[in-house]
Amino acid sequence: MVSVINTVDTSHEDMIHDAQMDYYGTRLATCSSDRTVKMFDVRNGGQILVADLRGHEGPVWQVAWAHPMFGNILASCSYDRKVIIWKEENGSWDKMHEYCGHESSVNSVCWGPYDFGLILACGSSDGAISILTFTGDQQWDVKKISNAHTIGCNAVSWAPAVVPGSLIDQPSGQKPNYVKRFVSGGCDNLVKLWKEEDGQWKEDQKLEAHSDWVRDVGWAPSIGLPTSTIASCSQDGRVFIWTCDDPAGNTWTAKLLHKFNDVVWHVSWSITGNILAVSGGDNKVTLWKESMDGQWACISDVSKGQGAVSTITDTQQTEQ
Amino acid sequence: MRLKEIQRTAHQAWSHAEHHPIHLALGTSAQQLDASFNTTSALEIFEVDFSDPSLEMQLKGSLPTSNRFHSIVWVNYGMGEDGTGGRLVAGSENGTLTVYNPEVIMSSGAEAVIGQSDKHTGPIRALDFNPFQSNLLASGANDSEIYIWDLNNFSSPMTPGAKTQPAEDISVVSWNRQVQHILASANPSGKAVVWDLRKNEPIIKISDHSNRMHYSGMLWHPEVATQLVLSSEDDRMPVIQMWDLRFATSPLKVFENHTRGILSMSWSQADPELLLSSAKDNRILCWNPNTGEVIYELPTTNQWCFDIQWCPRNPALLSAASFDGRITVYSVMGGSLKAQQQSTADTISSSFDAMDPFGTGQVLPPLQVPQPVVQDTIVSPLKKPPKWVRRPVGASFAFGGKLVTFENPKPAPVQSPQPVPRLVFVSQVTTETELLQRSRELQAALQSGSFNSYCQAKIQSAKSDAEQDIWKFLLVNFEDEARVKFLRLLGFSKDELERKISKCLGKSFQHNGHGVDAKDLAQKMQQLSTERADEGDAATPSSVSPADFFSQTPKENSNFQIPVSCDTDGLISQALLVGNFEGAVDLCLNDGRYAEAILLSISGGEELLKKTQQTYLSNQKNSISMLISSVVTQNWSDIVQSCELDNWKEALAALLTYAHPEDFARLCDTLGGRLEHERTEKRCLQACLCYICSGNIEKLVECWALHRDCASPLGLEDLVEKVMMLRKSIERLRNSEVVVQSPILAEKLTCYAGILAAEGSLATAMTYLPEHSDQAGITMLRDRLFHAQEEAAGGQQPPNSFNRANVSTAKPTPAAQAPAPKAQMMSQYQPQAPPQAPQQQQQPPMPSFYTPQTATNSGPDLPPFSHVPPPSSTRPASRPPYPQQPAPAPGFLPHQPFQPQRMPGGGPSGFPPPGPSMPAANLSGPQLSPPSSAPRGLPPMPSPGVPPTSFMPSTSLPSGPISPSSQPGAPVPMYPGGLHNQGPAPPMAPGPYAPVGSGYPQGGPGAPAVKPFSAPPPTGPHEGWNDPPAVRGGPRKKKVPENYTPPAPITAPVMGFPVEAPQPRDHAQVPPGAPQEPSVQLLQQLPAERVEQKEIPAEHMVLRSTFDSLVQRCQLAAGDPQTKRKLDDAGKRLGYLYDKLREQSLSHSILNGLHEISRCVASQNYQRGLEVHTQVVSSSNFSEISAFMPILKVLMTIANKLGV
Repeated sequence: MVSVINTVDTSHEDMIHDAQMDYYGTRLATCSSDRTVKMFDVRNGGQILVADLRGHEGPVWQVAWAHPMFGNILASCSYDRKVIIWKEENGSWDKMHEYCGHESSVNSVCWGPYDFGLILACGSSDGAISILTFTGDQQWDVKKISNAHTIGCNAVSWAPAVVPGSLIDQPSGQKPNYVKRFVSGGCDNLVKLWKEEDGQWKEDQKLEAHSDWVRDVGWAPSIGLPTSTIASCSQDGRVFIWTCDDPAGNTWTAKLLHKFNDVVWHVSWSITGNILAVSGGDNKVTLWKESMDGQWACISDVSKGQGAVSTITDTQQTEQ
Repeated sequence: MRLKEIQRTAHQAWSHAEHHPIHLALGTSAQQLDASFNTTSALEIFEVDFSDPSLEMQLKGSLPTSNRFHSIVWVNYGMGEDGTGGRLVAGSENGTLTVYNPEVIMSSGAEAVIGQSDKHTGPIRALDFNPFQSNLLASGANDSEIYIWDLNNFSSPMTPGAKTQPAEDISVVSWNRQVQHILASANPSGKAVVWDLRKNEPIIKISDHSNRMHYSGMLWHPEVATQLVLSSEDDRMPVIQMWDLRFATSPLKVFENHTRGILSMSWSQADPELLLSSAKDNRILCWNPNTGEVIYELPTTNQWCFDIQWCPRNPALLSAASFDGRITVYSVMGGSLKAQQQSTADTISSSFDAMDPFGTGQVLPPLQVPQPVVQDTIVSPLKKPPKWVRRPVGASFAFGGKLVTFENPKPAPVQSPQPVPRLVFVSQVTTETELLQRSRELQAALQSGSFNSYCQAKIQSAKSDAEQDIWKFLLVNFEDEARVKFLRLLGFSKDELERKISKCLGKSFQHNGHGVDAKDLAQKMQQLSTERADEGDAATPSSVSPADFFSQTPKENSNFQIPVSCDTDGLISQALLVGNFEGAVDLCLNDGRYAEAILLSISGGEELLKKTQQTYLSNQKNSISMLISSVVTQNWSDIVQSCELDNWKEALAALLTYAHPEDFARLCDTLGGRLEHERTEKRCLQACLCYICSGNIEKLVECWALHRDCASPLGLEDLVEKVMMLRKSIERLRNSEVVVQSPILAEKLTCYAGILAAEGSLATAMTYLPEHSDQAGITMLRDRLFHAQEEAAGGQQPPNSFNRANVSTAKPTPAAQAPAPKAQMMSQYQPQAPPQAPQQQQQPPMPSFYTPQTATNSGPDLPPFSHVPPPSSTRPASRPPYPQQPAPAPGFLPHQPFQPQRMPGGGPSGFPPPGPSMPAANLSGPQLSPPSSAPRGLPPMPSPGVPPTSFMPSTSLPSGPISPSSQPGAPVPMYPGGLHNQGPAPPMAPGPYAPVGSGYPQGGPGAPAVKPFSAPPPTGPHEGWNDPPAVRGGPRKKKVPENYTPPAPITAPVMGFPVEAPQPRDHAQVPPGAPQEPSVQLLQQLPAERVEQKEIPAEHMVLRSTFDSLVQRCQLAAGDPQTKRKLDDAGKRLGYLYDKLREQSLSHSILNGLHEISRCVASQNYQRGLEVHTQVVSSSNFSEISAFMPILKVLMTIANKLGV
């Protein structure tokens, strides 16, 4: 089920905090407490260091790739309170923009769906969320939600671009009426949904279920169904799946995916939105899938042990 | 950053870590009075709710107490499952130790006090509970009193050992964090004692020899069992000492920064590198005890803070109690004070009844509360990021079912000099193993062309009868005499019937064999039709002359009367006598003499016969009359439109037997439509069978989707298998590619491709993606698949499937500005043709044969807005626009010997040669509109059985505008313009699917058993379903010699070789998914020709044989076109290696490396081979080896993957 096809030695000098593949799955960006962002070409099972981006003055928490239609663009956020947007020009990577509008560690960056243009959400420990929109001419428009999460926002994740009330793309020529939405999670134990109305960001929903910091949130990619799905994970070891069936987006129901014994740091949806990868403080990654009857089941346990380079774990071998 | 604040002079205790929500208990502190000299005391519990942004804390419960407190702790003893509860233990100024139930306090219940003891004789300043056994609590008071309390048995505390002498106040007690029976106590005089509770005695004493340490605080290291810190309250020595008991003679470290005595310390349990201290210098500092560095200073008041505590649950929080009567909750993560202060002002403002504060009944203007000057103080966070924000692990999905994971090994307690490897793992996640397996089988069948056995296997493994039926029908499509077999599947066996008829007629059945022998049957039918023809021949003259007719009547009675009376008989006779057949027939009919009527009307001419039949049939109302009527009138529409649906089998059988090829498909579809309309599952399946007979893929998909689950991957697999097989069978019959422009099929295939992509089968996914779609989702997926395939690295020009928005740092364009609405964005996704494209298209010599054009003839100036990526431009869709006039080009004829070879496949040979025009051609790929796709296939073949390989292009091409129908198949590829635009169009039924029916050319009325057209088995290149028909093989050759110089390595062109020469480079540009078989043949020739030039030195021949055999092995094993393509490429690129070998131009080290690789290959140790490869590459001159080394790696990688 899960087999390691490539092991990349990043040569980071400190903890790795994030590793993200680009849109095509051919380039890997990593970031670390050693304050660097590295980029590898990982095609054909190899690893070629493409770039070693230095510019942050603190640990770099997350990296995010923009959609390739905008070029090769990567955003990184750091404990140094900065967000740096890097861009590849003529084969070399340089700072495209540096955003210093936060007063504390910026913990999360997430690019919006390409349909919205080049738009980036940043969540910070100062409790605020910034939304940066590229307006051309090296200009970035900034909207800030102050005190989005008291004592800190840990994660942001955009909703897929869906026109409310319509499942299919509207005929071209007609201006689609997207509602921009994203979800955030914070140290106030809350999951919050935000919606842009008349150019202003408003709190749309407040989802309460976690009893400790919400570590990560992930809005599932749209699979053509009218249901919106969000996963949230927390310091309390719980992972919740939030779903909303009503078109107005007001009624969200929580389903407990699992209660882990350790902090759950990260959730990630597969591109098709049917599998959720959950990574916990015990260095374990589990994969979850919703069965036909709506129950979430663990389909794989991607534990590799401490730094061990095993291709397939025992459990997987027995599964195969 | 200050988060919460309340006016209290109190000692504090956070609720324990498991407790949710977070509460803070405050007990009025002893020995402190505020200005009111209030001496009441209370225990209060507040909820710290951060979803409320204000500075307020909500009071949850309050209990008046008789004593004030020196110490208070919240123990998780007695904690409920939900993390609530626990115990509050408070030590008072008079020596009373009281245990409270916080839940009861919060619910204002009566029995909040659970236990109380007056054992201590003086104020209890020290309290700590055991982190391992929460029922164990240590307390310290004056007179060296230390008690260990068991909350289970509160009345009788124990002591850790004999009291230390001289008797002193105990200022602090602390349990070790690692060893549960170790307790330490300290006193202001500068002594600390470590007790072992198992031995019940002090085991070590720590004292500072300076005598100036007045211990105010002591804490064990959260993780290192032997280390503890001690703080001094003495202003002369305001330091924190770190001691290690392994070396207890002097402190390990001394932290100096405070300027006056330290009052309180707290060590973060979440991050041992965070130690808080507050001192009489009004400062609160955070230390990294490992380095002794102050990493944070809290922006505090100008008051002493006498009690400071990390929040156990929320590691970023701490609370500080100061002598100015404030309890403040801070965060160490920094942030702005602005929001909080603002909200405080709001609270103050709203706490007054702004409308009517004095109850006067008069509404006053809103109270103007003087707003505190909002200082936008930015508080920086901890210098060192705390442990709890450092994410140690992560897993993120990436395209193609990849999962990127990383983890960080737990830091070793001892710093090892060895750097920790920081690894990121890329894994392939597959969840649909069954789907992948089936998809592989399907791919294998599609590529090998073994459709029959595939269908057979499907029949074998079918889980339901319905499923089995469908596969049987699909199988029949691949067999000869499809109609007969369909009939049999429907339960109509000719043999069986014959037997029954014989029985019915009482004749003994004679049969010449078992089962149906096709030949026999054909003979029989031949006979039958001959007989019939004979009869017809015999009858014809009789219809001409009535006299003859009568002359053939039996002459049993030599004499007969001709009645001429006025009754019916007489009238008939008279009418006949005067030749009035019509009248005679009418009379017969009127009299019910149908037989006579028919007989007469046969003589009376065709029209009369027809009329008579009609009259007869309209009068007959029995059950078979309708059938007879249809058979006679050949009016099958009635049958399919009005038969009982339960008789669908019969109706279908009738169609199979009688329907004209041109009508067959339509009629089947009509019948299917009726069945489908019932919307029951059974009927839908039956409808599916009808559609399979008619070959209507689109309807099949629609109908299938109605009642079968296509959302689940396996459901989709079910559908795709059938569709692909049906498509194959149609292609086989039509001998051309079938492109179905059905939105629903496109949707299903896209969905299927999406699933395959998600499972990592990128190349396979690509083959299913609808070709000629400019739907945004499909284009994007195609682009993504293309770029995602690792092999795309190999120097190909990737298709620019979407317009890259210009977000250049240097020069932004308006296009990329602003959040563009989707429509706009999608239009940007359309490819941007290189500027030269339109220009090129207007130069007739250049694009005439290569620029793909829509069948609707949008012309060369068609703006390239509709995007079709290269794969499709190699497809028949891109039929050259210009050659509407036959252009027997000069230079064409000499190349004809290659025609037949290249013809069948078309493929890359039809691909434009590289050059500036290339991208333009790619990007401007046309969009085929659905109706135009049908005629693109070969026309229906009235003379079946002409194998494509027998075409002689050399004759067909120069022979001018021949109608394609006159020489089916042959001219079409050679003369693409003609098919659509000129010449008498081949008979074509309306609608895009009509040609399907003509795939059953044998199905003439009354001739069901005629041996049907058997298409020649597909020649090799035809196998891939996505192989284009050989549309442009011929014309393109004209261009190449004109403007293309063959690449240098090919030095000895054989006849026509210049034409072929560009092939390899063409090939390199063929995008994945493009067929390449012709080039296989071509490439296999190459080495042979080269051998003639020069021999490879004998010692190096082994390289060649090893590598060539590896390529061959791989080719045999390779399944997907992607890999095959690469292997073809490998064959070519290895040629460069062999060239070098012949020239002996390779250095010794490279040769050694190559031989080593060759040995690895021979032993199938590809892993090792790759390693050697890397060594060679890294140690060699790139230009020397660049021509062949990369492909060697690819080759070994493939070999490794295939396990050959």
